[in-house]
Amino acid sequence: MATNRTGAAQRPNGAPQTKVCQFKLVLLGESAVGKSSLVLRFVKGQFHEYQESTIGAAFLTQAIRFDDTTVKFEIWDTAGQERYHSLAPMYYRGAQSAIVVYDITNQDTFGRAKNWVKELQRQASPSIVIALAGNKSDLAAKRMVEFEEAQAYADENGLLFMETSAKTAMNVNDIFLAIANKLPKSEAGAAGAAGGGRRLADGEQPRPSQCCK
Amino acid sequence: MSTSSGDELHDQYKDLFTQDGVLLKTSVGRPVSDFNSIGMLCIVQNADGTKCIEWRPNDLITIDSDTQDQEWAVVNTVGRRQRTLSGNITSDYANLRARIIKIPLDDLKTFRITRNNQQMQFSTKPGVWQNTFYFQHGNAEIFVAYLKNHLKTAKTRHDRNTYMVVEPNDESQVLNKSFAELDIFTENTTDVVWNLVSNFKQRPYETTLEAFSKLTDIVYYGNEDVNGKRDVSEEVADLLTKSMSALEDTTSVTRSDEYEVISVKPTLPPRPCIPRGSPLSTEKWDALQDADGRIVEVEGVKQLIFRGGVAHSIRSTVWKYLLDYFPWKMTHAELKTLQKRKTEEYFSMKLQWRSVTEGQENRFSEYRDRKSLVEKDVNRTDRTHPFFAGDNNPHLAVLQDILMTYVMYNFDLGYVQGMSDILAPLLLLLGNEVDSFWCFVGFMEKIASNFDMDQAGMKHQLLQLQQLLMFASPELAQHLSQKDSGNMYFCFRWLLVWFKREFSHIDIMRLWEVLWTGLPCANFHLLICVAILDAEKEVIISRDYGFTEILKHVNDLSMTLDVDRVLSSAEGIYHQIVSAPHLTDQIRIVLGIEPLNLSMSTNSDPEPSTSTLPSTKPSQVELKEGNGNTIFGQEMDEDVVVYNGLRITIVTKTVWALLA
Repeated sequence: MATNRTGAAQRPNGAPQTKVCQFKLVLLGESAVGKSSLVLRFVKGQFHEYQESTIGAAFLTQAIRFDDTTVKFEIWDTAGQERYHSLAPMYYRGAQSAIVVYDITNQDTFGRAKNWVKELQRQASPSIVIALAGNKSDLAAKRMVEFEEAQAYADENGLLFMETSAKTAMNVNDIFLAIANKLPKSEAGAAGAAGGGRRLADGEQPRPSQCCK
Repeated sequence: MSTSSGDELHDQYKDLFTQDGVLLKTSVGRPVSDFNSIGMLCIVQNADGTKCIEWRPNDLITIDSDTQDQEWAVVNTVGRRQRTLSGNITSDYANLRARIIKIPLDDLKTFRITRNNQQMQFSTKPGVWQNTFYFQHGNAEIFVAYLKNHLKTAKTRHDRNTYMVVEPNDESQVLNKSFAELDIFTENTTDVVWNLVSNFKQRPYETTLEAFSKLTDIVYYGNEDVNGKRDVSEEVADLLTKSMSALEDTTSVTRSDEYEVISVKPTLPPRPCIPRGSPLSTEKWDALQDADGRIVEVEGVKQLIFRGGVAHSIRSTVWKYLLDYFPWKMTHAELKTLQKRKTEEYFSMKLQWRSVTEGQENRFSEYRDRKSLVEKDVNRTDRTHPFFAGDNNPHLAVLQDILMTYVMYNFDLGYVQGMSDILAPLLLLLGNEVDSFWCFVGFMEKIASNFDMDQAGMKHQLLQLQQLLMFASPELAQHLSQKDSGNMYFCFRWLLVWFKREFSHIDIMRLWEVLWTGLPCANFHLLICVAILDAEKEVIISRDYGFTEILKHVNDLSMTLDVDRVLSSAEGIYHQIVSAPHLTDQIRIVLGIEPLNLSMSTNSDPEPSTSTLPSTKPSQVELKEGNGNTIFGQEMDEDVVVYNGLRITIVTKTVWALLA
């Protein structure tokens, strides 16, 4: 399998066969940080300034194509308010990847994101690929969480990290691609991933790809 | 020892466990002045070996320790007996002693833990939670753990926070108890087994011994795989369905000597198609009032609204009644006074939070957090509707004010996601801040348990929904449980905000006003779910939808549903269920119908709200409605439609005449 260092999706150039890998991805984070907006931008290319709150959970799918592989994300978008915390395990159980989202203009949401990371590390599948997304990067003027602080935290914990903006689409596709790259469909795939945590991925045996059909 | 004197008796008092910092919230028969006083909750062993739960107010303990009795001052929690013994009881002291609350364990029937495990309620007779305590430090878990050392308990079917005390002389409970003692499943243990046992009692033939032997396999399976994907209750549900369908296939092949099989194939009668009526019009509404404005025929009004909803022109008036803001029997003049008083009350509560200064807010995180939750959601509530659209829309500020005032009205509940969805259509219709607030309060009264900290209310409803679906649409229920969806969580959004996200504003108004009538049975909103799901049965089963597809499909039904068709089929399903010959007590309880086997239901479901239902004749198509049955009580006043041999009571003649 060809290495895709930039992490950008490419047309299969007439490759006769494509492998399809399906991964479950869950979005977690405090209420109103932009979880649904990130998914909607990624899946439908849309953005609604006043995206309604998620009740229960939403489910969407989106496929990304690499050279000879189609990565199909089954995305679970969850309700963020603390009151609904107890429902989360139902959705992150069995997930191969997670995006933990915070709002760069709100320090509390970053603290909450750290708690989600801790919970995932403790309770989710041990091989789960976690990405941290500092969303609302278009509101940098109101920034309360420094990029470096979040990056350092991500490095310490072996997380992918990007600042994103569902509104401007900045880094939205990229963070999903980075996750797709890091997921164990091939060892080479991890090379293009941003942030730390590659060591973790390298150290892992790629699981028997029951994900691939 | 049985005739021991007071002295001996008291010498043998023993505190087995004590817990400080327990607030008495309410207690039946106690003066309100006793409420909210702090004290200690204890498990006490009496001289005769009996045990009781005792709550002692702190001031009592303080007085004790203020005395010169050094020995007592050290062990102040047990020393009250010495005061009793010494005979130096002052009248103050006697008063305080009278404030001790004792609940003999022999009398205790049920107890439950709510509010994030911080609140504990006790009941010694069905129907009343006599005593409510609030644990200020930590929670009730340790107390419960100790209490369980002295009681045999089992969790109830519907609510795993409610425990029933197992009475050793009741046969079925002993069985239940022994299963409970196995303690094999992590959750809902006894519920699953209990269901099986009660099924066995009700349908001994269908619930065969084979099912029991298979249960053993499940038990072992459950042990092996603690984190197993499938819920045990689903396994058992599957099992029962399978054993039942196996029976259907082999109709009357085996016939036990002991049991006579009456109905082998439980199928529902055909679904009647009951047309929707026209909305309650201004003329009819006016005709239903007396000269002073009292609503004379309340049940009739509700029947009409149930049949056809309310004409939009009078909605804003009628909703105030349906949402218990206006009492039906008040005159115009009384309503005017009421409204004035409620307006004052509203603004005084609003002033409470409006006068919080920025400095106070900075030092008041609980308040700040709630305010921020409200702001986050108000800002994104129904913004596509013209009424709430655009930047700086003034109606958003009203939403914010009402929800913040509700936080002051019910600080314990506060603001929970979903509430802004509930409020928005009310404000949209009523336009007025005060009216919207009080109507919102009324709506929240009906659905407060949806917002329980521990989701107990939601879990309870999802379980009831599963039971109804299993009865009304077993094929679909079976498919869902095979696809890990037996917990019905994909209906979470429907139930939490009463379908608000599934219908347009105008349709949700119609649906809500119909549901607020409480007709034709309790939990009719669950039958709405059943109706919607049943209409999707073909798609879900034939396309073999799994866990994710089911959720996606159900979410995507939003804004595609026809409210009148849904209401009509839900009512049809209601009649199918209640006229089914194999109607079970479990389903009767869900629908608020008095179960046939009273003792059984009391044992298995000590939830007070269901055990105090007015009794109705099981042969009738029942109407359960609060003070209800006034209509069907008057025998000549019911109108009966016969459909495929199915007798359906729809409306009273009074109402029939009004419809004409």
